[in-house]
Amino acid sequence: MTEPLVSIRNLKLDAATSRGTAHILRGVDLDIGRGRIVGVVGESGSGKSSLASCLLGLLAANVRVLDGSIKFDGVDLLSLGEGQMQAIRGTRVAMIFQDPMTALNPLFTIGTHLIDVIRRRSPKVARRDALARAEEMLRTVGIADAALRLKAYPHQLSGGMRQRVMIAMALLAGPELLLADEPTTALDATVEAQIVSLLQALRRNISGSIAFISHHLGLIAELCDDLCVMYGGMVVETGPVADVLGKPMHPYTSALLACEIGDDREGRLVSIPGEVPDPISETQACMFAPRCAHAIERCRGEVPRMRTAADGRKVACHRFEELA
Amino acid sequence: MTDAPLIAFDRVSVVFDGEVRALDDVSLTIAKGEISGLVGESGSGKTTLCRVLVGLTPATSGSVAIDGRSVSDHLAIDALAFRRKVQMLLQDAVASLSPRMTIRRSLGEPILIHRLASAESWKRLDGILKRLGLPEDLLGKYPHQISGGQARRVGVARALVMQPELIVADEPTAGLDVSVQGELLNLLLDLQREFGLTYLLVSHNLNLIRRVTSRTLVMYLGQIVEDAETRQLFRRPAHPYSAALLSTNPAVDPRHRRSRIVLQGEIPSVVAPPSGCRFHTRCPLAAERCRTEPPDLVEIEPGRRARCHFPFSLAAAGAAA
Amino acid sequence: MNALREALVVLRRVCVTFAGGTGFIIVLAVLAFALFAPWIAPQDPDRLDVLHRFAGPSAEHWLGSDQLGRDLFSRIVFGASVAMAVALTAIAIALSTGTLLGVLAAFLPPRSERLILILFDVILSFPNLVLALAIVAVFGPSTTIVVAVAAITLAPNFGRVARAQTLTLRNAPFLEAERILGASGWRIVVHHVLPNILGPLIVLASMDIPIVITIEAGLSFLGLGVRPPLASWGVLIQDGYQFLSDSWIPVVVSSLTLAIATLGFTLFGESLRDAVDPRIGRER
Repeated sequence: MTEPLVSIRNLKLDAATSRGTAHILRGVDLDIGRGRIVGVVGESGSGKSSLASCLLGLLAANVRVLDGSIKFDGVDLLSLGEGQMQAIRGTRVAMIFQDPMTALNPLFTIGTHLIDVIRRRSPKVARRDALARAEEMLRTVGIADAALRLKAYPHQLSGGMRQRVMIAMALLAGPELLLADEPTTALDATVEAQIVSLLQALRRNISGSIAFISHHLGLIAELCDDLCVMYGGMVVETGPVADVLGKPMHPYTSALLACEIGDDREGRLVSIPGEVPDPISETQACMFAPRCAHAIERCRGEVPRMRTAADGRKVACHRFEELA
Repeated sequence: MTDAPLIAFDRVSVVFDGEVRALDDVSLTIAKGEISGLVGESGSGKTTLCRVLVGLTPATSGSVAIDGRSVSDHLAIDALAFRRKVQMLLQDAVASLSPRMTIRRSLGEPILIHRLASAESWKRLDGILKRLGLPEDLLGKYPHQISGGQARRVGVARALVMQPELIVADEPTAGLDVSVQGELLNLLLDLQREFGLTYLLVSHNLNLIRRVTSRTLVMYLGQIVEDAETRQLFRRPAHPYSAALLSTNPAVDPRHRRSRIVLQGEIPSVVAPPSGCRFHTRCPLAAERCRTEPPDLVEIEPGRRARCHFPFSLAAAGAAA
Repeated sequence: MNALREALVVLRRVCVTFAGGTGFIIVLAVLAFALFAPWIAPQDPDRLDVLHRFAGPSAEHWLGSDQLGRDLFSRIVFGASVAMAVALTAIAIALSTGTLLGVLAAFLPPRSERLILILFDVILSFPNLVLALAIVAVFGPSTTIVVAVAAITLAPNFGRVARAQTLTLRNAPFLEAERILGASGWRIVVHHVLPNILGPLIVLASMDIPIVITIEAGLSFLGLGVRPPLASWGVLIQDGYQFLSDSWIPVVVSSLTLAIATLGFTLFGESLRDAVDPRIGRER
């Protein structure tokens, strides 16, 4: 088994807020395999978006890393200075944001955006060649009239097209790790279908790994190879997506799946009683214990560690063996 | 359940600034006590339809009747009574509450506005709040201090204290975590059964629509393109757009996955809709007739209408029954 | 009440800065002078003592006396009452009429809105001194004139701010939600729009106080405003200026008072504006 591209160990992230210190990530362990698409799913307060920001080293002023390591191809990103991180951003690690409306600079044409990305990778490229590559890439991501679009400004394109431009930019950067933070949430359903279809088709073009962050379990089920479930700042379960969804090992994963609105019209809809945990709370317990149907004393007093449950599967639950 | 429909839209059009045809020739009926679903993407006109229904936006032509009387008549004769009868839950629940008012004051608004009997109304309100599972200490808080789910429930309580007959819910689960939306929906369904309410639910969550509604309206670019019993619609959509839209729903269970029908192109602008059938620019089956002749919304089966020259021609493979 | 608690929090934020704290102290002093003038002033400001005109500072006249032997310090203290009375009255009128017009402008159809905006622009483009001269020419000088001029001059700005604030709210969901509940337009404006736009308006009001003080002083200096024997700082400066050759004390002292008071209110107002900046405001 080759070394994973990204190896996050015990990542702890705190944010200073007016109400106190918020523990955004409480010791995250995660591996992203080479060439794999990993889906990161979680609800509000799970910390999934902060995880992406961490990988890029773009944290808000009131946020700081308390502990842990993020090994990217062997190098700990947290030990790098800003200059070194800048060299990595946009070249080895790229990101597609949720809101295509605001992710592009309104003052520059699409062509300029794309050429900027190309030039970062290959500074010596002639403008004509760069434009040609940009146009080719726009066609690849399914934008009609590519030559015309190069001269357009972001506000002249629809949301779906802007997101395709973002994907084009990400592909041109040729990153080893592509982060996609809810890239289709702001799009209409039929446009989302187009983007998802595009991403599936482009898998071959992307030699690197993708971390796909979403709250939409169905989307992740269709698109991703591996699944990482987060809750309350912790990773609770990881593994191949079909395995985890087919036979969940963590009570939260099972509960979440049960909440998905199914076909049968009888019976009540399922929800998980209680509320998502408050990031401010200091607990030395399993974050899900207050809402877990299977919680025992130990769950309320001891933080469960991520343990290997089966081939390629890890769970953070004291009782996963009995509950299986 | 009476036979006369509670809601009747007759050839309603809404045109903004003389150009933007937000609603075009919409005709529909909703029976009393029914839960209807409304699906559509941007530019479909679903929001405008809701606004016309609750009297926020006037129809440029056509008539909207509730309980036999037009909305404009309702508003002219007894606007307050109309407002008590017809309520709407807006998409952003937190932003629907006045930011500088405590929850208690916001809840008291309908009582003051309609001059309801104070003691009796507050008693009713307290009962509703308890059923909704809202804690006492919530009353003293401000909107920015409560969660989306709590705000949504406050909105529901506010609407219910007036004992409405019709509730339009615009994306009732938007912004709610998956783990809590079930509770809210169960509650809405319980209330519907108990009080005989009529609902119009707008949602992009197709699973929700399928599970909860008895009829569904599909809209595209200001028009209704399909109007069918929900179960029928999901089993066998007649309009190509419905088929494509329903197929976009990604399913967790691989057995439930349909092969996705991916449409070409983008949603056209409402200002300059395509000629003939508005959907022809993206329809995989568009024929010459579709380009030139706009189809009417006709009954293709008993109890089912579609706006297409070739209904049922696009097979949605692998439909989950 | 929660508004009071919020006000105290803001006040604290203002006072912790040097500028804000200093400003606040000066404001308090001026207000104290204004409110408690009859008790603070050692003597009747109108009491003539011609035998002791232009007296220097002494135990009897702390800051000396003016050309008619009146106690300068007492006149300055009463001058504060005049300044505050004029300022607060003018601002109250400007705030209410400006806000009303501004909120209306935001809700009325484009034609009416444009009329209101044109009215604002006309007033704003007029130099207020010329306006004052015109009004005085017709009605003669008086305190009422000063208040009127100041109110007219300031109203359009309140109107503009009120309109801008209301526009941002116009499509806010909670206003629509209230309409759906059945609230009348009036109820929406009074209970839902006004409370949410007051913040910037109050800041503007506090920053306008020094402006009105200056307008009043200027007009009174020119003899177009407050009439003697009412002791406005402008009048004091005028008197001191006229008799500069006899004594430099009155003009310097009264000018300094005007300067310090204006500075104090300006510092306080600016500090207040920074303190209610939404970035430093409530957090989730």
